[in-house]
Amino acid sequence: MTFVARTWNRLTIPGRVLLGLLLLGGLLTVGLALLIIFSEPILELLGANLPLVRFVAAATAVLLMTIPTAFLIIYMEMKIIALMNLRVGPDRVGPFGSLLSVVHGLKVLMKEDFTPTGADASVFTLAPVVTYLASVMTLLVIPFAPGLFGQDMNIALLYFFAISGLGVVGLLMGGWSSFNKYSLLGGLRSAAQVISYEVPLVLSVVGLLILAGTMSLNQLVLNQAGWFTDWYIWQQPLGFLIFFIAATAEANRTPFDLTEADSEIVAGFATEYSGMRFGFFFFAEYVNVFIVSALTVTLFFGGWNAPFPFPDIGLALDPGSLGIALLILVAVVPLVGILILALPFYLLRSSMPFWQALIIGFVLFNVVAVAAVLGWAFVSLEWVAGLLWFMLKTYSFVFIFVWMRGTLPRVRIDQLMGFAWKWLLPASLLNLFVTAAAVIVVRELRG
Amino acid sequence: MTPLWYVVGFGVAGVSFVFLTIGAAWLISHRTRGDQHKGLPYESGIDTYGDTHGRFGLSFYIYALLFVAFDIEVIFIYLWAIAFQDLLLGGFISMLIFVAILLLGLAYAWRKGVLNWR
Repeated sequence: MTFVARTWNRLTIPGRVLLGLLLLGGLLTVGLALLIIFSEPILELLGANLPLVRFVAAATAVLLMTIPTAFLIIYMEMKIIALMNLRVGPDRVGPFGSLLSVVHGLKVLMKEDFTPTGADASVFTLAPVVTYLASVMTLLVIPFAPGLFGQDMNIALLYFFAISGLGVVGLLMGGWSSFNKYSLLGGLRSAAQVISYEVPLVLSVVGLLILAGTMSLNQLVLNQAGWFTDWYIWQQPLGFLIFFIAATAEANRTPFDLTEADSEIVAGFATEYSGMRFGFFFFAEYVNVFIVSALTVTLFFGGWNAPFPFPDIGLALDPGSLGIALLILVAVVPLVGILILALPFYLLRSSMPFWQALIIGFVLFNVVAVAAVLGWAFVSLEWVAGLLWFMLKTYSFVFIFVWMRGTLPRVRIDQLMGFAWKWLLPASLLNLFVTAAAVIVVRELRG
Repeated sequence: MTPLWYVVGFGVAGVSFVFLTIGAAWLISHRTRGDQHKGLPYESGIDTYGDTHGRFGLSFYIYALLFVAFDIEVIFIYLWAIAFQDLLLGGFISMLIFVAILLLGLAYAWRKGVLNWR
């Protein structure tokens, strides 16, 4: 052991990195070789348990997807609000400061995770778990693209509201177990707010359910295929408005962010939290913004449908049929492409050495190649196009949430509670009955 | 695999993800013992006094009661909405009566001034 440690200490830093990479490469090679040797029994085993494989893939994909989503939304929030305030915003880490939220995440990971003396340690630890789980488990039913969803349940919408409603338990747990008056008040306030807006939120979509006759989110999206006039927003404008307002309050976003009203109750339920447990509370909050946007898009804006019937231009290309030409293509095209793209820089700017032109050509060629592959995937793979449309719409709504945060002031708590019970709840019931009456009248008129 | 097992399995995966991350953070984060003041709850910098889990506003409780009344109603309304294309007028009238009874409760609470935050 001492020999290994001494050798390690003698190495320079590049040497250590190189050694690490070599070890990693060796391990990967051995693993790959084992995989190839035992490929047949492994494939057989996987084929026998296909639902299990599908489950593991879906769970891993959804859980890992939340991390870049949260980072992206935090960065969007910092940058867009900065631009709205005529500030520059983050611009030091990475291009346009885009890596700052990653650095924030790493910082939270390395901070001391502290439990105050009077706190109920087990409940204190479980609270962020419950909150995070309540937001992430709803991603299971959201249809991202044709065939790209965790599970197509026939009660998906009810499941969604049931699970996302559990988040309030986490807030209450965090507020109660922190042994802090601010936390307790913050937790109770969040709970009162979330449960008050839960009622109009779930009632606002009933009109849509009457029209659609199904609770499966996948089926709802399929119902809205075609032109953008087929989206439910045109038949349910009031329902959408109520849903959007209630969803903003549900996600604790401005103008309804009384749970973290730092000028009144410090940081609400999160006052005593630090380190990664604090991180998970805010992780959950930003994932919630994404989920609420995704659900709005799914219900009212056609989900992964394009706003118009997209022309079907499938480029049929079978790589196997090219034979030896494929090999030449793969070998020659990058070289020629790099040279062609490097040429204008080399010719037009005589001061530039050729290797700089080559690097520029290489980068440009990669950009072109990635764009070409994405374009090909967009026109010939249904789920890529669907995912792109879905993400485009969802991030438009995320942008609207950020925009509201940059624009609107926070409401007072009595206005907040009164608005939910005195305006939104009657309005959503009105929406329900008007839709039902309209369905009956249309039925009668058509005979 | 039925949807129920899917949901349960996903929950287990999520919980293990959170605990793995918190555990990893616990391994790499620094910890200090600190003195007795470190463990005090943060209440704007002064030492805490009085009972933390003491009394708080009754209105929270009343909102919770109202919520229970309306949220359970929702489960029923959802099923009604799915089947509405078959029920039509009869379903419409019965739901009108059902909601009217619930709205009576809301009207009572409203009249009593419960909905005004105090």
